[in-house]
Amino acid sequence: MKLTDSIKSARATLKHGKTRSLLTMLGIVIGIASVIILMSIGQSAQDLILNQVQGIGSNLIFVIPGGTNGKFQSPAAAQGIIIKTLVQADVDALSREPSISGVAPIVNGQAAAVYGENNLTVTYQGVTANFFAMRNYTIVNGMPFTDQDVNAYNHVAVIGNDLAKTLFGPNINPVGKSFRLGNTTFRVDGVLKPMGIGPGGVNQDDLVLIPVTVAQNQMLGINYFQYVLVEGNPDYTLTFVTGRIQAVLEQDHGITDRSKDDFTIETQQDLLSVLGSITSILTIFLTAIASISLVVGGIGIMNIMLVSVIERTREIGLRKAVGATDADILQQFLVEAVMLTFIGGVIGIAIGAFFVTLVYLVLSNFFSIGWVFAFPISAVVIAVVVSTVTGVGFGIYPARQAARKSPIEALRYE
Amino acid sequence: MINVRGLTKDYVEEGVVTTSALRGVSFTINKGDFVSIIGPSGSGKSTLLQILSFLDRPTAGTYTFNGRSIENMSDRELAHVRNKQMGFVFQAFNLLSRLSVYENIEIPLVYSTVPVPQRKKLIEDAVESVGLAEKLHTETGKLSGGQKQRIAIARALVNKPDVIFADEPTGNLDSKSGAQVMGILDALNAQGHTVILVTHETYTAEFANRIISLRDGAVESDKPVKSPRRSTDQFFK
Repeated sequence: MKLTDSIKSARATLKHGKTRSLLTMLGIVIGIASVIILMSIGQSAQDLILNQVQGIGSNLIFVIPGGTNGKFQSPAAAQGIIIKTLVQADVDALSREPSISGVAPIVNGQAAAVYGENNLTVTYQGVTANFFAMRNYTIVNGMPFTDQDVNAYNHVAVIGNDLAKTLFGPNINPVGKSFRLGNTTFRVDGVLKPMGIGPGGVNQDDLVLIPVTVAQNQMLGINYFQYVLVEGNPDYTLTFVTGRIQAVLEQDHGITDRSKDDFTIETQQDLLSVLGSITSILTIFLTAIASISLVVGGIGIMNIMLVSVIERTREIGLRKAVGATDADILQQFLVEAVMLTFIGGVIGIAIGAFFVTLVYLVLSNFFSIGWVFAFPISAVVIAVVVSTVTGVGFGIYPARQAARKSPIEALRYE
Repeated sequence: MINVRGLTKDYVEEGVVTTSALRGVSFTINKGDFVSIIGPSGSGKSTLLQILSFLDRPTAGTYTFNGRSIENMSDRELAHVRNKQMGFVFQAFNLLSRLSVYENIEIPLVYSTVPVPQRKKLIEDAVESVGLAEKLHTETGKLSGGQKQRIAIARALVNKPDVIFADEPTGNLDSKSGAQVMGILDALNAQGHTVILVTHETYTAEFANRIISLRDGAVESDKPVKSPRRSTDQFFK
């Protein structure tokens, strides 16, 4: 029996029982759609996170207080433990290093922002004037604060684009206006351009940036920094710069044993690598869970194919009587099973593509998230291969049952 | 063409012979014969037909078909002979209701080496020979019983077999349709096809030139029919 004849016969059989065929392939449709959606969304999330990290700037280095005992362990500061070892003396020492072109110490806090009737809880960052240039933050209205503002403890602020609208109202120019942050009144000097969610999940459009001196001494009452952003001099390699940062801080902190470093240096590459691994593992994990529904779908196909073999016993007898061999019957039923799963796979891909597009449109248009549309070809290839293999895997047993039937008994079957 | 000698068929369960369906049957059927095999229920006629049509193997005895012994043939070879040299007509028609007349007649061709472009002509010739050319693309579920059996005969003919096995072909038909079917088988025999008919009706058996009568698994009589019946329906002649 030619394969084309098997395909023609399978098509006629599936077409004859359209409702049954559709219900049979439903499990595969759901399974493949789930795999496609999770793989695509996983890829999009990974792209989004990595883009945000890359957006920081390739020659930026984070210095975080606290050491790490192992390569995969987070620095203590990243785990929420307060460590007070990074101070102004370190910033000054790093600023003197020729391989470093910029140092921006940073502190974070949360406080209520109040303007008129509006009262919002916001995250504020105490930063230096060079922070804006180092992070490529663009001011769309007004101007950033200056070194003089930082040194003079001026109560000035640069605010995120969304916050400007929500705190002051959509039709009010906030520049020059004053608002209360905690117990301190600040004047808005500038408004940032819209940037969406930044690294670490912080919505940069709701941020308040104030002079680090004011944040440290008047808002938080601390003398240490939560992290320090360092920009490498482009004349030096990143490896050299990180080596120098380490040497300078070790000298500053009087550390001679490198394993006892009380700070951690992380480059963009380190972040990319860790975040990439995390998102990949998450995607694989979620896809594996979705694959369970494929197995359930496959069992559904096997079940219906077994029923079909029993229902079509006389047909099998007739086909054998007029010359079909066991292999012909096996091929015919196997092709039917594979066709069911293949069509189910194609429908699953289409549904998956629809939902992936829907998620992209909703997140991009209604949540202002810089969601990256991803529909990996690998997911489509995997879906087609998996659905076909499922058809073969779960179709072989019913097909063998059909092929083994004795033609006489099959013809006698009532 | 067909030569059986001492054909025996025992049905065995757990090592014990429960039924001896055939007990040393011997006869010869020549090319172009029209033979009826008759006998009461349980006489072994269906078992004999199954062995003659390569659907089953004998327990003992010899069976040669066109000079080849069934003993030396694999299941695959038996399937090939069934496809190319034998045609089957069943009491229950065994048409696939989800397929059209064309697709039902095509089934034996699917298992042969006939290329797809050549199938159309063979199918058209077959359906024309049973007088149902206008039904070629009709769903078989919409045909009458007589028409279904004529389509089943067309399916049996499509590979131009040497021999047609008909198992109670009129059993599910009214007398008019039965007469039409017997007329077609008679006409096919006249064209040179060997026809082997199994029936329990003496009236139908007398369309053949020879009647082999079985009783309790053995040949009771093997006689020519002096004046075989002819169908009153001349349309198919």
